[in-house]
Amino acid sequence: MRAQFVLSETWIGLRRNLTMTIAVITTVAISLALFGAGLLVNQQVSEMRNYWDERITLTIYMCNDISPTAVCQENGPATDEDRSALQDKLEGMDQVQDVTYLTAAEAWQDFQERLGASNEALAAAAQEGDIPDNFRVQLSNPEYYDTVRAAVEGSPGVDSISNDQRVLEQFFGLLDGLKWSALLVAGVQLAAAALLIGNTIRLSAYSRRRETGIMRLVGASNFYIQLPFLLEGAIAGLVGGLIASGFIVATRFTLLTRVEEWFQFDIALGTGALMYVIGVSMILGVLLCTVTSFLTLRRYLKV
Amino acid sequence: MIHFDNVTKVYPTQKRPALDGVSIDVDKGEFVFLVGPSGSGKSTFLRLVLKEEKPDKGRVHVAGKDLARLSNWKVPHLRRRIGCVFQDFRLLPNKNVFENVAFALEVIGKPRRFIRKVVPEVVELVGLEGKAGRMPNELSGGEQQRVAIARAFVNRPQILLADEPTGNIDPATSIGIMKVLDRINRTGTTVVMATHDAAIVDSMRKRVIELEEGLVVRDQSRGVYGQAY
Repeated sequence: MRAQFVLSETWIGLRRNLTMTIAVITTVAISLALFGAGLLVNQQVSEMRNYWDERITLTIYMCNDISPTAVCQENGPATDEDRSALQDKLEGMDQVQDVTYLTAAEAWQDFQERLGASNEALAAAAQEGDIPDNFRVQLSNPEYYDTVRAAVEGSPGVDSISNDQRVLEQFFGLLDGLKWSALLVAGVQLAAAALLIGNTIRLSAYSRRRETGIMRLVGASNFYIQLPFLLEGAIAGLVGGLIASGFIVATRFTLLTRVEEWFQFDIALGTGALMYVIGVSMILGVLLCTVTSFLTLRRYLKV
Repeated sequence: MIHFDNVTKVYPTQKRPALDGVSIDVDKGEFVFLVGPSGSGKSTFLRLVLKEEKPDKGRVHVAGKDLARLSNWKVPHLRRRIGCVFQDFRLLPNKNVFENVAFALEVIGKPRRFIRKVVPEVVELVGLEGKAGRMPNELSGGEQQRVAIARAFVNRPQILLADEPTGNIDPATSIGIMKVLDRINRTGTTVVMATHDAAIVDSMRKRVIELEEGLVVRDQSRGVYGQAY
């Protein structure tokens, strides 16, 4: 095996079809960047899901003197019996892991702590008593949300039950949509890239048909004849993958960081997750190009 | 060395067989002319030897191998034992004489040291000493064909196939080409040459196999081009 010979043939092929090579690299880079972005969003979403699944709680607000809802207006503020009955009921449920009762004062304190730093105006406007006393219910599994909610809704003294899951679902739905559209566009782009590579390799095989004809005649092995073309595809795929990696890193540090800032998640995708996405994209790029080259050669380079 | 046993080849688009039950034996070290009009089956014969085509009936043995039983990935190894020369030379225009000959060795993975040693020897054998650095377009037709012969022979094949090697060359130059082929034959290489050139066949006095419409109509040792009555 003469590595130098194979490499120089590969280089000649890449240079001879320079415009096609550039087209291939660009298409591969764009499609892989989209694909990688889709994977990143996917990872981010699943990390955030885990984060929220652990923390998702049901907050049951009790009626107090100033509750505006019809239920509370009708029945008056919750009594201590209502509270202890509800607590017993919740603690008796299998789906409930933990129940914490917060008095109105504790709830206000908690509110101040959570919002005080980022939204001082809102924190200052709220007064003790604005937030009614409530039960924080930790579920043993987030799936039980609806069951528990249905069980306590309408119990005496209950004002409202917070619905943070629905809000989160909308947000996750948005991210899912983003992910799938990125992957869809990536798929179409990858198909286009495959066709372009096929064309490039076909041109390359055609422009070197004299050489390959002679190689065949003097008994060069099929592998030896095909290798420069396969490498040509693989190198185009690799360069495209490298450019895509740049885009992926940029996406990670601009778009996703901003998403995290907006939603004040203290979770960020680690370097490991980023390397995983880059690795998968690069391997996909090189594989796609090499396999397409191989299939093209079977048709256009009779050996 | 080459053994055809009742070989028939029909191309898919044609009704008449290109070869029709042909049995030919060529021994090691022989020099054989394959003559006959265009379409008589000469090229098909050569293609079958190279396993570029498969026979529809009959068996082809080359260098002791039954080609029907030779798997596709071993075909390159068969072709390394066979050198090929064509009417149109088939040189690489962007490589000089040395590089064109060396190409045949490079692509079968021979080491550079070996190539540096044997290529000049073969270039000298075909009578091109001192012209190793020339490009093909700086050479005459006869010289280009010598380069092609050097490329075919540089790997010391057991068989040399020549498909009308003098077809593009004037008669005076052709004699030189024939001398080179004869020299190669004397090293023990079997030479099979398809040709239309009556003068050459007559002057060489070698074995002549005449094909017509896919049939062997004459097989004569020390023959001539035309029918010898």
